[in-house]
Parts: sequence; structure tokens; C-alpha cells
Amino acid sequence: MTQTSHTHNESRLLTASSQKTMKTRRGKHERSHNWLYILAIPVLLIMVLPYIYLILQSFATWDQVNNTLIPTSFSLRSYEWIWTGGGFTPQPWLNALFNSLLVTGVDSVCMVAFGALVGYALSVLQFKGRKFVNNFILFQMFYPAIILLVPTFLVIRFAGIYDTYWAMLIPKMLSLWAIFMYTNFFRSIDNEVIEAARMDGASEIGIIFRIMLPISRSITSVIFLFVFMERWTELMWDLIVVKDSTKQTLNVLLSTMFGPYGAYPGPLYAAGTLLTVPILVLFILFSRNFVNGIQFVLR
Amino acid sequence: MSAIPMKRRKANRASASREFQGWLLSSPYLIFTLIFFLIPLVYSIYLVFQSWDLISPTPVFIGLDNFKEALSSIRVRQAFLVSYEFMVLFIPSVMIGSIGLALIVQHVPRFKSLFSVGFFLPYLASGVVSSLVVRGLLAYNGPLNTFLRSVFGTSPDWLGNGTSAMAVIVGMLVWKFAGYYSLIFVSGLQGIPNEVYEAASIDGANAWTKFWRVTLPMLYPAFYTVLILAVGISFSIFTEPFTLTHGGPQMATQTWQLEIYAQAFDQFRSGYGATVALLNAIVTLISIIVIRRLAEYWGHRNGWN
Repeated sequence: MTQTSHTHNESRLLTASSQKTMKTRRGKHERSHNWLYILAIPVLLIMVLPYIYLILQSFATWDQVNNTLIPTSFSLRSYEWIWTGGGFTPQPWLNALFNSLLVTGVDSVCMVAFGALVGYALSVLQFKGRKFVNNFILFQMFYPAIILLVPTFLVIRFAGIYDTYWAMLIPKMLSLWAIFMYTNFFRSIDNEVIEAARMDGASEIGIIFRIMLPISRSITSVIFLFVFMERWTELMWDLIVVKDSTKQTLNVLLSTMFGPYGAYPGPLYAAGTLLTVPILVLFILFSRNFVNGIQFVLR
Repeated sequence: MSAIPMKRRKANRASASREFQGWLLSSPYLIFTLIFFLIPLVYSIYLVFQSWDLISPTPVFIGLDNFKEALSSIRVRQAFLVSYEFMVLFIPSVMIGSIGLALIVQHVPRFKSLFSVGFFLPYLASGVVSSLVVRGLLAYNGPLNTFLRSVFGTSPDWLGNGTSAMAVIVGMLVWKFAGYYSLIFVSGLQGIPNEVYEAASIDGANAWTKFWRVTLPMLYPAFYTVLILAVGISFSIFTEPFTLTHGGPQMATQTWQLEIYAQAFDQFRSGYGATVALLNAIVTLISIIVIRRLAEYWGHRNGWN
């Protein structure tokens, strides 16, 4: 619940709620615009250039790193350096990558699972106080999270989990945005499906995991992608609650390496590549569902 | 016992169990909100009147001293100014950028999804990684400066100059957000009825007038959404200046978040850090309200409500 996730929350809430699109059918307004490629392709190249630069530099020989836009000779030396720890034992980079995968994996799964559980309760189960909870979630999403940063940090200290994995994991296990999205999506699912499952004696938890989540595959993949990305690229929170370098995430380690390791830019690019590839892989895996799901998120 | 009360009791039991299950399934949220929202919320109100270095066992009550210090602090004032400077540069650039990308996606004859996915990719990047790339691209021996020196004989120190450092950070965030915002504009473009364009054609409008008189005004809802999002971004920049400039040179890229981080977690001044955070939130809220009003006023005049 730090400032970054706040802006993301707010952003997605806004896109979800205040789009006052006019109802219409899609026009056949499109004429032939072949000339547009002259503009579109260079723009696309600029948008992906930093990724290409990052990956090429990570494979460049060290005499070419940072000197050439497109390296001509390649080596795996930067990755070897990452693998061996560059003479510093133990391997800080691999360790940080493991930390990132652990923290992000656990938190993303929790955010999706809790999002589905709470979203189901708030949309399907007709309990008293449901409306109040729904409204309170909206209030929280618009509440400036930056105010909570320092006191939340102090709560972590009081709880005695400062400088542990728990300090990174627990405060980010729940995403208000995920709850909000699931609540809205489950509301649109036909109640008869749920009633039928209940008749067959399915428990509410069973209904969530056997029926609701499979139905909502595309929205789930978008939610998972967004919460994963947010957690994976989180900087400030992980920076302040963990000081022990063996527990730092890859994002934090890389952000603090700009100074002392500046002399070894190659490994920095390799680490940056390792930090980028998981999100890209996830995005490609989900891209089919993503196109459908993002429509709902943006609506 | 007749059948009817029996049925009712059964129904009652069912609704009681529904009630219980509702709260049970909401309990992760309720516990989480208590610990990470309500307690910090109350605690933050207490904290702004305290001085606490986290070493001494208890905070010391100092009244309004934190506010006095923050309001006269040159660093806070600089953060205040930088956030507006950023906004003035960022909002027009990201608007033009994202509308442009949306128009490309909308009108390009083929490979629409390729373009829209490609434009979205920057949103997935970690700010740390994009800072790393930008630092490399703009370094003295980096490809850009080497090229500039070979052509013009001289090259600027991009991050060593206040104006260009600011421009670099603005550029990075435009790069990051333009593709994401363009998705909002694309759904806005798809919502424009074809009849409007046909009517405009009958009135003799050319493509240029159609764009200015039809497309842009019809994009108002998307424009409004993106505007509010971009204002929010302007007050919460951290990663890029943290990794690239540390707020420099001469505090030209000093942001609210950098100041809160420096005070609360570098100098360990919890009370003062919380106070700066509160001021940041107040300034953000007021700015968003004012800008919303202005945008809504403009929208009303153009027939939106």
C-alpha cells in the first residue's frame, strides 16, 4: 500500500469507472491508411528500443558495452559474472533474483486468491454490511497511500519483522484493486450457475475455485499480470523494510548498484535483462487472454 | 410444529450461514485493513505532532514544529515546485503521445494488435531498468553523445544540467505511460459513432477539421481520465530521480517522494517524514480537485456532463 501501488490502484479504478463512452456500433470509417506505416514502424521501434538496447548490451563483449548502440561482438561474460557473483561470494545477483521470484510469486498468488475470495463475498454472498465494505474499499483506493507509508513502516517494526522476508511479503499480500476488479466481474456472472452448484452441494470455496476462477480466466490473467508487474517492480517499500543484502530483491539490488558497480556495466545490463524477461514472458503467455481482459479492465 | 415456521427457520439458518460466510470470506480483507490501513491512519495523525528518531524509546511531542519546519524548508518548497514543473511538461507530452499512438492503432490497416502490444510494453518495464538503459544511452561515452560529438563537436551533460535532467525524466515517464494511456484513447476512438463523421463530411469538413472538431471533442471522457491519472503520477515520482539524479543537480529533480524517503528512512525522522507525506497528500488532493473542476467546466461547455 505504498505510493506507487496507490497511483496504479487509482489509475485502474478511474479507467474502470469514469469512462463515459457513448454507446455505438463500430464504424466503417477506416479508409486505406498505408502511409501510416512510415510513422508507425519508427514509433514502434522507439518504444521497444530500450528493451533491445538492454538485451544487446547484456550480450556484448565488455569493450563494447555502453559504447555502441548495436554491438558487433557478443559474449556471455556478463552472465557468467552474474552466475559466479563476479568474485564476490556468495552470488548476490542470483540470490536477489531468487528473492524477487519468491516475494513476487507468493504475493501475486495471494493477491489473486484473496481478490477472488473477497470479491466473491462482496458480489455474490448477500450479507449485511456488504455495501459498506464495498464503499470502504473505494474510499481506501482514493485515500492518499503516501500518508500511510511511514506509519506502516513503524507497524512492521513494532511487529518485529523489520528486515525479514515477512516485511516484504505481508503488507503486499492483498490488492484492493484486485478485489475491486473481481467484485465487478463476478457481479456480471449469471447467478443460476452458482445456485446450481450449491444444489449439487458445492461449498462456497469450491464454487470460487472450481467455477468462478475458470469462468474468469481472461480477467484473472490480466489481474495476475498487473499485480505481478507491480510487485516485481516495487522499489521504495522493499528498499526501506529490508537492509540485509542477502534478502534484497533484484530490483532493489540493481537500484543500489549504480554507484559502486558502475565500473562493470555489462553485468548490470545482464541483471536488468533478468529483471525484464520474467514480465515479458508472462505477458506473452497471457497475451491471448490479455486482449479480452484489458477490455474489461478499461471499461 | 407446522411446516411454515420450519421452512422459515431453515431459511433463517441459510441466511445466517450466508451472513457468516460473507464475513468469513471477507476476513482477509478486514484483518488486512485493520493492520495496514486503520492503525497506520490513526498513527499517522499522532505521528505528525511528534519528533522521533527511532533510536530513543518513545517519541517526543513537539506540537506544530514539524509543520513549521516543513513549510519553511527549501527542500519541500523545491519538491512542490518540481511537481508542478513536471506536470506542465508531462501532461501535454503524454497526451499528444498517447493520442498519437491511439490514432496509429486505430487507423493502421493491419497488425493492429502488434502495434498496440508493442506500445504497451514500456508500461511493464521496471523504472530501475529503464534508468539503467537511459544512463547508458546518455553517458559521456554512450552512443548518443559519441554521435553528437562526431557531428557537432560537442555533447551535453544530460543529467548534469537541471533543465535537461528534468526533460530526461519527463521523457522516460512519457515513454512508460503513453502506450498504456493510448489504450484508453483507443476505446474512446472506438466509441465515436460513424454518423458524426458522415454528418461532418456532408457539411464539407476535411480530415483536418474533422480531427479537431469531431475526434478531439468526442475524446473528452478518455482525455479526462488520462488527465487525472497523469496529475496523480506528477506527485508520486520516485524511482527515476532516485536512481538517476538523487534529486539533483541543484535540486532540479527533487520530488516529494525523494524528500519523504530521505527524511523518514535515511535520516530516520519519522515524525517529520510523516508530516511531509501529509503535505504531499494535501497538495495532491487540492491539485486533483482543481484540475478536475477545470476539466469538467471545459467538458460542460462542450456538451458533456
